Amino acid sequence: MLQFARFALVRGLLAVLTLLIVSFIVFTLMEFVPGDCAERYVAFKNTQGSNITIADIEAERVRLGLDKPYLQRWGVWIYNAFQGDFGDSCILRVNIALLLGQKFWISLGICLSSLVLAYLIALPVGIISATSNSPVLNNSLRLISYLGLALPNFLLALMIMLISTILFGDSLTGLFSAEYRDAPWSVDRMKDFLSRAWLPVFILAWSATAFAIQTVRALMSDEVDKLYVTAAKARGVIGRKLLWRYPARHALGPIVNSLGFDLNRIFNELPIIAVILTLTDAGALLIEALARSNDQQLAGAIIFLLTGSIVTLNFLTDILLAVVDPRVRSSIVK
Amino acid sequence: MTDTNTISAGADQKLKEAYFTASQGQLIWSRFKKQKAAMAGAWVLLILILSGLFAPFLTPYSPTLSGRDKDYQNGAPQIPILWDENGFSARPFIYTYERERSFKTNFRWVSTINRDKRRYMTLFPKGEKYTLFGISFERHLFGVDKGKIHIFGTDSTGKDIFSRTLHAINTSLAVGTIGVAIAFVMALIIGGISGYYGGWIDSVLQMITDAIRTVPAIPLFMAIAAFIPSEWSSEERFFFISIVLGFINWPTLARRVRTHLLTERNQEYVLAAQLCGASANHIIRKHLLPSFTSYIIVDLVISFPYMVLSETALSFIGLGLRDPVNSLGVMLQNVTNADVLLNYQWYFIPVIFFIALVLAFVFVGDGLRDAADPYGDTKK
Repeated sequence: MLQFARFALVRGLLAVLTLLIVSFIVFTLMEFVPGDCAERYVAFKNTQGSNITIADIEAERVRLGLDKPYLQRWGVWIYNAFQGDFGDSCILRVNIALLLGQKFWISLGICLSSLVLAYLIALPVGIISATSNSPVLNNSLRLISYLGLALPNFLLALMIMLISTILFGDSLTGLFSAEYRDAPWSVDRMKDFLSRAWLPVFILAWSATAFAIQTVRALMSDEVDKLYVTAAKARGVIGRKLLWRYPARHALGPIVNSLGFDLNRIFNELPIIAVILTLTDAGALLIEALARSNDQQLAGAIIFLLTGSIVTLNFLTDILLAVVDPRVRSSIVK
Repeated sequence: MTDTNTISAGADQKLKEAYFTASQGQLIWSRFKKQKAAMAGAWVLLILILSGLFAPFLTPYSPTLSGRDKDYQNGAPQIPILWDENGFSARPFIYTYERERSFKTNFRWVSTINRDKRRYMTLFPKGEKYTLFGISFERHLFGVDKGKIHIFGTDSTGKDIFSRTLHAINTSLAVGTIGVAIAFVMALIIGGISGYYGGWIDSVLQMITDAIRTVPAIPLFMAIAAFIPSEWSSEERFFFISIVLGFINWPTLARRVRTHLLTERNQEYVLAAQLCGASANHIIRKHLLPSFTSYIIVDLVISFPYMVLSETALSFIGLGLRDPVNSLGVMLQNVTNADVLLNYQWYFIPVIFFIALVLAFVFVGDGLRDAADPYGDTKK
């Protein structure tokens, strides 16, 4: 048990270290954006008619702490970030945690549901296709997974919009219908949300499913021919029981390991899908912050949070694997 | 009986000899040829690349504003036909579209099809001047005798979508090539250092690579692309975007290079060469590099479509390339509004070409990967 705790601790430290490196990269990038928060705020005031001098900009810089050395500011930023405080948005002048809170959880929920959906489809389909010899099934699955690669999610979203506009006259966009957009959470709002959220979930799951089917299939077809499967067969274990108890368990390890990268892939598509389907989630805010208002604080916070959830998932899958897989467990607990 | 046996044995012998004396490239090619899907992909790819390269000749008009058709904006595709109620014609023709604005039409532009005025298609008509490989030409593959022809329709400014599509293939290929080249060089340097030195250098470099790999690439890319000053010209944007694509996509490649180097370094053939007294330079050039060039080429082909897709996604949301440059993302920028979705569906025609391009790359990449695996035949 002690060894296990040590393993978890080391993994946790590694995850924090990764986050530190990532935060440094993100912070540096945000630093390179032309102009800083003080200039932007003061420029905004300028448009409101007040006269701005260099001294005003300097004063604003001191107020925001932008005159401190670079590393010190990074330290403060990361210290606050781990406590869930990302400072104020440059343009909107609102605390980012407040601005982002609910929207980020909605995005994360949508992405995780698509991940779950992808594997709910991919696991049975991948296992069946790895064990069956039917060329029709195998070729059609291959075609589907190639399409998943070649038709990126945003093109799929565009196609669905095109078809639904022609057929139903509704482009199926948005996360809430008009009457629930600003309402507080309630059962009705939840229903409304779910009746619309299935589309982004489906679209985000599209290429993830294609990738997952390929992975599951490759891993399973590597395992089904191995001797321990033959040995189990010789002992009279057959059919589904054989597959679930022997090769599927072996194939599961690498799949659990790769969940973090699958989430990464889904996050990749999130902002673009948000634009197409006019979702009001963190992805849309990210685009807003980057493409339109150049809001470096907000953009940095979102990228950091996205990466943070991937790192967390990686950490959790590492621990989960150590609990589930006796081979990994025995390598930790010597 | 014995005769045929000896003949076939002789043929077998020849085949065997050819097999054992074949170079690595010949072996890969012979395995590649056997895969139907990969070969089909290779043909489609070749056709698309050629049509991208010869786009100025194959398309009747320039894809920029200079080639626009003022009288046919947001126009539907014009498909050449051979007969109608007015009789048969040996030459394919289209109808003349007339635009009118007068008291009758409430002073709005209204276009009508005049079925009596035919425009006949011509081969190799003279058109706008263009340069191909440094030589300037003015003949295009096809055109019509009067007015203009738009087989894929036109966009809101009257630019020919067919011309834009073919030129966009060019852009995608260029972005992909530059991006892949940069990613490749960086991967070779970083993966090479990591794999060659091993030890703590390897650990530190791996840690950084892994950290970069965990950041979702497209949001990161968007953050970098947001720095582009708005006064940059479209060419500058184009190069910047391609370079950034390369910079973001190197970690996966670098990891592969490192893994190859780490495993190959300890192989017995390297030890054998060392024992024979070969210099490090000789070992790297003659033994190590050939051992994984085929894998690297395969990796490059496989990562190509991702570059193209990333560029498309970025341009689509307005952070990548901008209007005078043609790329699929630029062409799709305005398609999400209801007007286009309901009335101008031909804006989506280029998508077909791009799915074909990406699919072709994926098929060829997969085929190459199977063909480059020397144990592919012996498995199962």
